[in-house]
Amino acid sequence: MQEVLKTSNLLIGYKGQALMPSIDVSLNEGDIVALAGPNGSGKTTLFKTLSASLKPVGGEVKLFGKDLRDYSPTERSSLFSLVLTEKPDDLFLKVFDIVAAGRYPHLGLLARLKQEDEQIIYDSLETVGISHLVNRNFVSLSDGEQQKVMIAKALVQDTPIIFMDEPAAFLDYPSKIELVNIMHKLSREQHKTILFSSHDLDLLLRHSDRMWVMAPHQPLCQGTPKELVEQGIIDDYFKPIEAKKEFFWMNRE
Amino acid sequence: MSTEATIRRQTPPIALITIAIVAVGVVLFALNLMLGSVSIPFSEFTKAVFHGETSTYRAIILDYRLPQAITALLAGIGLSVSGLLMQTLFRNPLADPSLLGISSGASLGVALVVLLGMATGFSNSIFAQGIIIKWLGLRWTLEGFAVVLAAFGGAFLVLLLILALSSRLKNMVSLVLVGIMIAYIAGSVTDILKFFSQKEGLHSFVIWGMGSFSNVSKTQLPFFAITVVVGAIGAFLLFKTLNLLLLGERYAENLGVNIRRSSMLIILVSGFLTAIITAFCGPIAFLGLAVPHIARFLFKSSDHKLLIPATAFLGMDLALFCNLIARLPSFEGNLPINSVTALIGAPIVLWVIFHRQRFSQTQ
Repeated sequence: MQEVLKTSNLLIGYKGQALMPSIDVSLNEGDIVALAGPNGSGKTTLFKTLSASLKPVGGEVKLFGKDLRDYSPTERSSLFSLVLTEKPDDLFLKVFDIVAAGRYPHLGLLARLKQEDEQIIYDSLETVGISHLVNRNFVSLSDGEQQKVMIAKALVQDTPIIFMDEPAAFLDYPSKIELVNIMHKLSREQHKTILFSSHDLDLLLRHSDRMWVMAPHQPLCQGTPKELVEQGIIDDYFKPIEAKKEFFWMNRE
Repeated sequence: MSTEATIRRQTPPIALITIAIVAVGVVLFALNLMLGSVSIPFSEFTKAVFHGETSTYRAIILDYRLPQAITALLAGIGLSVSGLLMQTLFRNPLADPSLLGISSGASLGVALVVLLGMATGFSNSIFAQGIIIKWLGLRWTLEGFAVVLAAFGGAFLVLLLILALSSRLKNMVSLVLVGIMIAYIAGSVTDILKFFSQKEGLHSFVIWGMGSFSNVSKTQLPFFAITVVVGAIGAFLLFKTLNLLLLGERYAENLGVNIRRSSMLIILVSGFLTAIITAFCGPIAFLGLAVPHIARFLFKSSDHKLLIPATAFLGMDLALFCNLIARLPSFEGNLPINSVTALIGAPIVLWVIFHRQRFSQTQ
């Protein structure tokens, strides 16, 4: 199994201030890795650092053996794609246009869509089950539908790695199942590597090959879901927050 | 599962709308040549234009109205495209060239030359002598030369300031606020200059500030045309980046856009267009703000590959229309173009604000 991403002594944070102890993790080709942790544990910061939006405070991120920052933006666009929690807000953006934008790194100077590119766009809309929305304005869709559009955009980009920040947020139960099926298809058939975060413990535990668990100021723990549950790490990392919440409400009264 | 007949992309009749816009443009251009304070009978008009008869009419049409119409058309293209770029870059539907203080910078430059020059008695004497200098192979009166250069200098200084700040401010909203503050500062200094200036200087400054499409002489026109066309082509070449920026900065970055470099390029192109047009025609409001919205509504699209040419053509139409209104035959001389563009542009912007939300819900 080829190693596609590796961090060594990686410190993430803002303004030279590390959020947590250094991170040494790796992603292998075809892995589905779940990133779990309560709010404020640094999941989004880690995503930003791994996707080159944010400079690491220390250490390095290597993609296919080369430092992430040594790639040009154009080169990076063919290595990983993103599904984010933030959404486009332009009133006239069509679903088709957004998904087509995911194809731009593959197109020439004039961004002419070839027959083949159009087919890829329609196929990925079909894959996420929203081909009937192709002519709609993005802002007129429901949150769940918008999420699927952004996933279709990532599929069209056709990269070996896909980062998904909260892809299941806003999705109803059947759509979550669909999402899991899509992720499995991508990983098993096309050997894509997927790193996704979620608050849905069931989704995290049941549908990932490996998990990275984060908590504020704690070292990142990794392992298979089974290992992490057996070692009691899932309990440890999710409990303190619950306890704090109780305490907070007690004080209010 | 959906049937074999999957829903395919629908687009509005692009070709049809484009033909209509161009046709309206041709008609407006012809009307700009035909109508004016001197009424020219239609038979005389065709004779003068097509049969090349030398007459007073021919002189009026070719030496006065034609350069003015072409200037209006070019200014319309440049300001509208510039507005579109800024609206996309700042993700703000109310952004336009004056938003970043570029027009105010130009005004300050002109105020310095015209008002201070008058006050010191420096330019007064030179104007009287009517010195003519040659620059870029063209003949300029010193007054015209100084005004153009000062406006360009002022606009460009503000632009450089914005460029320098844009690399420090990652957040686009704060950059817009900086632009508004720069506009205030430049405006205040201009007002103070006005306060201390003499009557004559104030008069010519106020005239420049009203805006006019008749300041570009026939000999300056090629220079003006080339710069505007180069700027517009530069804008078109940025369409991919602009489309990606619509998705949000992080998605754009992921799709290969170098955010900082692209932002600077976009500011440079739209600032260049604004500077050159403001220098020649004065600060012209609302064209840059209103036209991109009309283009989006007509084509129901935010694809810049379509929007940039559409905005250019519509900007041309609207500027020609405003110019026509400004010199309706019944008016002696020209109305200030700035008032006309505001009178026509402001209601369009209001209409846009009230219809935006409804539009997005129904489509």
